[in-house]
Amino acid sequence: MTDLDLSRVWLVDPAAGREGPGELVVVDGVLEAVTWLEGSDADGIDDRGVVVAPGFIDLHTHLREPGNEDAETIETGLAAAAHGGFTTVCAMPNTTPTLDEPGVLAAMRGAAAASGSPVEFLAHGAVTVGRAGETLAALGELADAGVVGFSDDGAPVRSASILRSALAYAGALGVPVVDHPEDASQTDGAEANDGFVSTVLGLHGWPAAAEESAVARDLAILGEVCRDVPGVRLHLTHLSTAGSLELVRRAKAAGLPLTCDITPHHLALTDEWLAGARRFAWDAGPDADPWRDQAIVAAPYASSLRVNPPLRTPADALACLESLADGTVDAIATDHAPHTKVDKAVEFGLAANGISGIETALGLVVAAVDAGQLSLSRAMEALTVGPARLLDRSRRGARPGLVEGEPADLVVFDRSDGWTVEADRLLSKGKHSPLLGMRLGGKVLLTMAAGRVAYEAPLD
Amino acid sequence: MTDVIEGAAETEVLVPSIDDAPHPAGSGAWRHRHLLDVDGLSIDDLELVMRTADSMREVLARPIAKVPALRGRNVTILFYEASTRTRVSFEVAAKNLSAEVVNIAAATSSVTKGESLVDTVRTVEALGAQMLVMRHSVSGAPYLAAEVFGGSVLNGGDGWHAHPTQALLDLYTMRSRLGSVAGRKVAILGDVLHSRVARSNIWTLTAAGADLWLCGPPTLLRGFEAWAGRGAAAGRRFHVTASIDEALRDADVVMALRIQKERMASGLLPSLREYAARYGLTATRLATAKPDALVMHPGPMNEGVEIAPDVAAGVQSVITDQVTNGVAIRMALLYLLAGVTAA
Repeated sequence: MTDLDLSRVWLVDPAAGREGPGELVVVDGVLEAVTWLEGSDADGIDDRGVVVAPGFIDLHTHLREPGNEDAETIETGLAAAAHGGFTTVCAMPNTTPTLDEPGVLAAMRGAAAASGSPVEFLAHGAVTVGRAGETLAALGELADAGVVGFSDDGAPVRSASILRSALAYAGALGVPVVDHPEDASQTDGAEANDGFVSTVLGLHGWPAAAEESAVARDLAILGEVCRDVPGVRLHLTHLSTAGSLELVRRAKAAGLPLTCDITPHHLALTDEWLAGARRFAWDAGPDADPWRDQAIVAAPYASSLRVNPPLRTPADALACLESLADGTVDAIATDHAPHTKVDKAVEFGLAANGISGIETALGLVVAAVDAGQLSLSRAMEALTVGPARLLDRSRRGARPGLVEGEPADLVVFDRSDGWTVEADRLLSKGKHSPLLGMRLGGKVLLTMAAGRVAYEAPLD
Repeated sequence: MTDVIEGAAETEVLVPSIDDAPHPAGSGAWRHRHLLDVDGLSIDDLELVMRTADSMREVLARPIAKVPALRGRNVTILFYEASTRTRVSFEVAAKNLSAEVVNIAAATSSVTKGESLVDTVRTVEALGAQMLVMRHSVSGAPYLAAEVFGGSVLNGGDGWHAHPTQALLDLYTMRSRLGSVAGRKVAILGDVLHSRVARSNIWTLTAAGADLWLCGPPTLLRGFEAWAGRGAAAGRRFHVTASIDEALRDADVVMALRIQKERMASGLLPSLREYAARYGLTATRLATAKPDALVMHPGPMNEGVEIAPDVAAGVQSVITDQVTNGVAIRMALLYLLAGVTAA
């Protein structure tokens, strides 16, 4: 039943560096034929209709199992991923218990297998025991068990000396350290990006410097460690400020073994949304003032917008887009962070941090493409080969691409059709999307992973 | 103070007769179901509040300061933060309008057992609340209450964000003494960063055309320079300065804000002593303002810290006027909001 015959579609194959009109045939789950159409056969096919790309890879997903199954389970999280076009997810280790030893990973893998989902489940192990930042987790054992990275995400690796050890030790294991850069001494009680909007709304400011000083610290340590230990790799996740991206740009130019990702919400949404504006960063512009611009269309303080790092200014979001275009940013990662209603349907300042975002990621990226802020090919690259570079040998498929003879691992979405984000349509248990009620483009029609259907759009 | 009858005749803004009972449905030009912030109030809205408060002042001057306007209405006062002045002021205002008043102090309710705000609001509504006056320590909390409450929500102060009735009573007090605040220099001194009073006054005073100056140590002004810059572009001009001399020079109104001891613990100030020496409103400093400058304070005061006792009790002080006007303003707002939901 896993046969597919797509004719006259727009194919994007970032691994081959190619996109264009084509046809694609899947027989019995195997990608039998990929045909690129040329000349008059290609007439009338453009990248604004049905697009086929390799399945997306999410480097940063919170699946909440074990420990907080009311917020998400591995089963619902993988279903949500498939709905978003993702065929590989990398779960973060901030579970209860923490994924800091191989037994926890085995249990998670068991849940993934039991879910029956063909979406590939990968995981990052913790850097420190219990993510407490004090002693190294069982890095070697975790690497042997197959974790794809080490991260204390949700928190930074607090101690600089522990980070130094972790980078060196993990480097020898060939596993990257994935840091969440945040200087906690600057973010105690912080609620919203420190700036005009937080000042007007009376929210505790969360300075850009809290992220940038942590990035600078990490890069200084990386610069020293990489001289001694070949194989050291640092990945900075969910960068959100123009200053952080500039630091990464310079460090990459200096040759440091560094990669980074940004989230869809940081490239499209801004702190203006906290005031009740609902326009994308590129429509706001760097001098945005939602009060002056009469851009406020919703109630302020929507707790769905509370996230770490916070939504930043339009200028920061535009820097994210620019850094994606110029290659400073390697990947788009969702930081999908589902929470229960109990933790989210409360006062803004008391709400848990996190956006349920894996199902709306493509929609936000497509919005940027539609607005001419990002090319489709670069967007697809940042969702496929970009994240794959971090994972290299850990992944099931050798490399993401439309490769004949391989089990189909792809997403089919329609840029000419959209969908309205509604709680009932989200497969995640986390219904707290700030996009509820909004229409997003790039509706996913079909996701295939490992040759099987992972998601198929219901007939309307 | 403008005579209320003449005032009403001069303008399109209709001040309904408050002696009518029950409340005349849909009277007046007030359209807002809730009072959550002052940022959405137009000049006409401000005028209507001021004129309605004039009528309420007239009621307050009567031997029996009570009218039947809100008879049969339930006003529930839900305070998640300690307050005496604002809570009692709302209570007196609601009773003067003949409303039934229910008082809930969050410390003694099921909130301490972990009940969510949403559940609490639904519960008080089920118990008959039609108007909900709320104070909360978290900025924006009244918006969440307004989302689930079927009646009107009045913000009695939320976090650092807004204190709408305070800003309106401040404006009313200034206008009562000065006629108009347009072009008048108003200096607000102190902990601007953590002040919902300062934030709400920015909106109302810039809308009313005052020459507004915010002054305090730089650590307590964080972010306001940027707001002032945006405000200038949007026609909401105000000034920010760390120099108290500059702020006070020829001021028509000087408002001192309460300084809290927690600010020292969080590393924003060296000591209260140093604050009092550099930013305290003393008679000597006040002398650099206009001779008849008004002295205001939203209370509660730390006498001897942000304001000297002789200044607080001096001839220029209108601090007790603020308290009395607070009742009139809150009566006016309860009355205007009740007109929207009765329509």
